[in-house]
Amino acid sequence: MNATNMLFLDILLVIALLSLAWATLTATDARRSVILFIAFGLVLTLAWARLLAPDVALAEAAIGAGLSGALLLAAVQHHPRRALSSERQNTGKLANEKQNDSNPADLKSSVAIRWTLTLFCIALAFVLIWALLQALSSETSDTLAQSVSANLANSGVSNPVTAVLLNFRAYDTLLELAVLLTAVLGIFALSEQRTGYLPAGPVFNGLVSWLVPALILMAGYLLWVGAHAPGGAFQAGATLAAAGVILRLAGKRNIGLPVSKSYLNIILVIGSGLFLLVGLTMLALGRPFLDYPPAMAGYLILLIETAAMISIAATLILAFLGGRPRNREDRSC
Amino acid sequence: MIDTLIWLVALPLASALATQLLPRYATAIVISTAIATSINAAALLYAVATHGVMLYQIGGWTAGLGIALRADGLSALLLMMAAIVLLASSIYASAYFNDNPLRRRFWPLWLLLWCSLNALLLSGDLFNLYVTLELLGLSAVALASLGGKTAALQAALRYLLVGLLGSMLFLAGVTLIYAGYGTLDLATLSRVVAAGPIAWSALALMTVGLLLKTALFPLHFWLPPAHGSAPAPVSAVLSALVVKATFYLVMRLWLDIFSEVVTPQAASIPGVLGAAAVLWGSWQALRAERLKLLAAYSTVAQLGYLFLFFPLLQALPAGAARDAAMGGLVILALTHGLAKSGLFLAIGIIQQRSGHDTIRDLDGTAQRLPATTFAIALSGIALIGLPPSGAFLGKWHLLAAAFSAGQWLWVVVIMIGTLLAAAYTFRVLGHAFGQQPYPRHPVTIAAEEWPALILSAFATIGLGLAGAPVWQLLKVSL
Amino acid sequence: MLTAHWLYGLSGCLIMTFGLRAVLLNDSLLQRIIALNVMGTGVFMILITIAYRGPDAAPDPIPHALVLTGIVVAVSATALALTLIRRLTEEQDND
Repeated sequence: MNATNMLFLDILLVIALLSLAWATLTATDARRSVILFIAFGLVLTLAWARLLAPDVALAEAAIGAGLSGALLLAAVQHHPRRALSSERQNTGKLANEKQNDSNPADLKSSVAIRWTLTLFCIALAFVLIWALLQALSSETSDTLAQSVSANLANSGVSNPVTAVLLNFRAYDTLLELAVLLTAVLGIFALSEQRTGYLPAGPVFNGLVSWLVPALILMAGYLLWVGAHAPGGAFQAGATLAAAGVILRLAGKRNIGLPVSKSYLNIILVIGSGLFLLVGLTMLALGRPFLDYPPAMAGYLILLIETAAMISIAATLILAFLGGRPRNREDRSC
Repeated sequence: MIDTLIWLVALPLASALATQLLPRYATAIVISTAIATSINAAALLYAVATHGVMLYQIGGWTAGLGIALRADGLSALLLMMAAIVLLASSIYASAYFNDNPLRRRFWPLWLLLWCSLNALLLSGDLFNLYVTLELLGLSAVALASLGGKTAALQAALRYLLVGLLGSMLFLAGVTLIYAGYGTLDLATLSRVVAAGPIAWSALALMTVGLLLKTALFPLHFWLPPAHGSAPAPVSAVLSALVVKATFYLVMRLWLDIFSEVVTPQAASIPGVLGAAAVLWGSWQALRAERLKLLAAYSTVAQLGYLFLFFPLLQALPAGAARDAAMGGLVILALTHGLAKSGLFLAIGIIQQRSGHDTIRDLDGTAQRLPATTFAIALSGIALIGLPPSGAFLGKWHLLAAAFSAGQWLWVVVIMIGTLLAAAYTFRVLGHAFGQQPYPRHPVTIAAEEWPALILSAFATIGLGLAGAPVWQLLKVSL
Repeated sequence: MLTAHWLYGLSGCLIMTFGLRAVLLNDSLLQRIIALNVMGTGVFMILITIAYRGPDAAPDPIPHALVLTGIVVAVSATALALTLIRRLTEEQDND
């Protein structure tokens, strides 16, 4: 593609993104907001692909737009009244002041606060742009990117993004799996699963019967290919979770997750658990934490990623289900 | 020896997973982890004192390409305080949640919180700090909402939104730093950072995000409901440690990494906000009707004192006076952590035994729960800053710094704040020592009262009489 | 500096501040959560823009990895927040 066409595409993408973001944030109705947010995420995948970030594009499609979208849609679905109306008593100082809309003085002060905050945001935008342009136009050293490529051969994988995620900055990824675990344990502590959907009709069932195996196959492929091409545990886990969401929509209650609590616990902790175990094994071998021997690095990363994929998928599915499994007696279907 | 750093993060994480898998043995796992992690923290403190700054390169990669853990005197002291507070609170919590079905949900989240605190205090990498902030925020919210009804859930939700907004602003600052300097490693950054639009706006974004999480006035609005409606051991840790962790980061950025970039005008902003926090927080604590809210507003005020040090440390030239003030700041933070956690644990005992924490109806508490009342009195001494508490030393150095920097306004603020603290403490004690004509039998609940007593006594007597090593340790800095 | 840097860097900053404004001013809890996600996306866009080195050069992989981590952290936080909202509405309906 020549430069002019590229510029045209860039401008089109940027305008689409800005207007979708604005529309998402100013929609008066939460359901509209969610749908626009999903559309925003889909256009965003194009932008990531354009900026040569295919790994991020895949993750955005699967997690950013896909699963976040599904979670948000489910939230609107189940609580249409509360989620759509403004929840004044919950939203802090600003909303409290708006409680007496009839009082003109309060109304005035709330308008004043809105304008102050808006002006503050505009000022922030200018400062951000100023600083960013300054940063981009200065000759920043490229040493980090260079040392990634210099050490890539010892990392066990050839996709530099996977090398950063699972080797150079593996500690970040370990803590990130702990974040996922924290979220799912928090969800468990708060609530039980929602009641399910009715069993699907024959057409949807037919669709499910080929879509789910295809998604599982795709997850396996993404996991494997992550070592040398765009892909990896997170994208694979999200794809696997999508299969779970589809099964759930078709009315399958357990969607392949184990019924027994202890097996479910193992699936949830295996991602961070195995990662930690590998790290500590290196300590026991007299190496620094998470310092894989170069010859083994490729295998260890694949092992960690497989376990991570399982935990990620289970966490995302359980987040979609909305809580800990119900007791056995309710498990009628 | 050097492995201590990674074990401080890895052990709580491993135990969190173990308690989730083996809920039946959870209490035993938690108590042994708490003891082992406290020993680790003490070992780190000793190692920093004898060998200087500790560095651990994870994965064997040099810092920059990889992530480094670092510990100096400041981080080692805060790690030790966290360990003491968490060990005592763990013992307390094992009794507090004794037969409660929530304990099964509580322990894994509790250990994840501990893991994130240690990870934050040790992290030497800006993006890694963002991840630890999120881990800390989510585990704190999950714990604060545990078993809560409408009020607690509302408070937890607001806490979550504020926390997420704070982390996002922090990440925006980190992004600017990477754009401008091409590094995330804190040590490298402190060498290359220079005054200019990039450094200023990055520092401003990160600071606003962190101050939101630290609840500095006027960004404190979320703290009293969240700390006031969580289960007692959780409130203790939120007030003593979680806000301190983000305060530590502000300190690290302003006084260490960006110290060349910060101007006196900029440093007066946290000072002024801190002064407002001291006055507003103490006044609200005096007016609070519930003990827990009193303790929470007192946290808002006590955090204010810490920010008063910023303009003074900026004004004082490097040397003995500045070092003395720095030690005062740290000892004030440590004392508050220990005293406030002791206070919250004691309040939890009263709440469980009498079913409420309304200050007006505390009469007879001293007759029924003598040890608990004693713990409240001890922590009150530390909150006011009476001798021999560590806070007395801290405020003494704060005053000395204000005099030598010629900034008199702060002296007035400190005086008013201290008087208000005395007023709200004696208001509580006045009710608690109120006699009931037919007192109920005094009771002792060893597993709950000992932790509260030890924490408050440590703040009041331990740090006050044996605070000197703090200044020694702070000489070891990155 | 490339044209793409201008265009995408600018939009990243704008999307982030749009999001921030909505987080501060929106009344609906659900829309505040969405706004936080949009704000995060703005920051991610700045990161991906920094990583871009032109059409023929390999981009810097580190910001890409950071964004991947950020996306997963964001979805975890969103999931927890949505569950809290759901529990809160249930409790309020019971009251």
